[in-house]
Amino acid sequence: MEFTLLWAVLTAVALAWLGLRIWSEGILDGGFDRLIGASVAGLLIGRVTAMALQGTNPLTNPADLIIVRGGVHTGAATLAFVITLVWSTRSTRPELDALAPAVLLGLAGWHAGCFWRGACLGSPGELLWTWPLEGSVISRHPVEFYAAIGLAVAAWLVSELGWRLWLRAGTALAATAGVRLLTEPLRPSITGGPTLWYWGGIAVGLSAVAAGWMMERSTVDVPT
Amino acid sequence: MPRKLLLLGLLVSACSGGVADDSVAVDDLPAVTAAGFESHLATLDKPAVVNVWASWCLPCRSEAPLLNEAHLRYGDEIEFIGVDVQDSQGAAKEFLAEFGLDFTHFFDRDRAIPNFYGGLGTPITMFFASNGELATIHNGVIDERTLALNIDELRQTDH
Repeated sequence: MEFTLLWAVLTAVALAWLGLRIWSEGILDGGFDRLIGASVAGLLIGRVTAMALQGTNPLTNPADLIIVRGGVHTGAATLAFVITLVWSTRSTRPELDALAPAVLLGLAGWHAGCFWRGACLGSPGELLWTWPLEGSVISRHPVEFYAAIGLAVAAWLVSELGWRLWLRAGTALAATAGVRLLTEPLRPSITGGPTLWYWGGIAVGLSAVAAGWMMERSTVDVPT
Repeated sequence: MPRKLLLLGLLVSACSGGVADDSVAVDDLPAVTAAGFESHLATLDKPAVVNVWASWCLPCRSEAPLLNEAHLRYGDEIEFIGVDVQDSQGAAKEFLAEFGLDFTHFFDRDRAIPNFYGGLGTPITMFFASNGELATIHNGVIDERTLALNIDELRQTDH
């Protein structure tokens, strides 16, 4: 792993840790470990999927797994992260809601980590806060900072929500996908970006909110 | 459970992973000097993306599919060139056949070209303006966003 990527990862981990300290209500022991474990699972599955889609067999080329810059499939990584987190908290479902703001803040850290990688800029733009690549005269949007700010604001908004089942977790997933979807047009891309996965994330997140609401309602309605 | 998920992922990948097409014939790569390469760039009437690779280079395998995709998408506007360094012709041809990198490649056994432009390690991706001047040099494996951003920079600058 290149050191610039490592710094970006450390920024994400540090902000997730900070998020767990700020919004600690409802988090059981080992919350940080579960987040890190789910992130590693997401990264691994996302990388394996990207390799497979690029036509590289991970069984015959296992060393390629560590070349994270070669690509990580966003959708597969998100699915693996959520599934691992759900599995690790299966006996304490509300903890997913408690972890949600810290996850969002960690993601904000990952995007802000573009600073270390020199990879913050996106499409050309002529605004007060845009700047060019080194040696260039074309100003560009700091799109990864936009995403970082959006995710940090989302973290705070989610932390202000109530404690209804999956309200925070579902909203966090939808907000993450929404922020990425809104900023995607500002990112130059070869493959077109995982826009469909973002729409899927919004749909799944909102469905989780609705499902949680219905499950709680049916529990309340059952006569005892 | 995570172990099961990992195994499942690996199995799915193993089933869907690509297989090298050994039937694709690739000619010997033309050898080139740094001066010859510079002259070649000067004759191009469009910007160029030059990727320095080698068959033994692990990250080169990872970025090869991305370069192929970029070539398919921007090949009309931008010249894609590969420079195989510190390699053998046989291994280089196997690599090209495996990844189907269907653009011009040169053979540079002594690393004269990356040394001339100040590149470090392998892989390296260099971005040249249409007048042949080096615009940007990226040492190490390149990700999609960085490649797309620098290609966009070449396109914007040249229009």
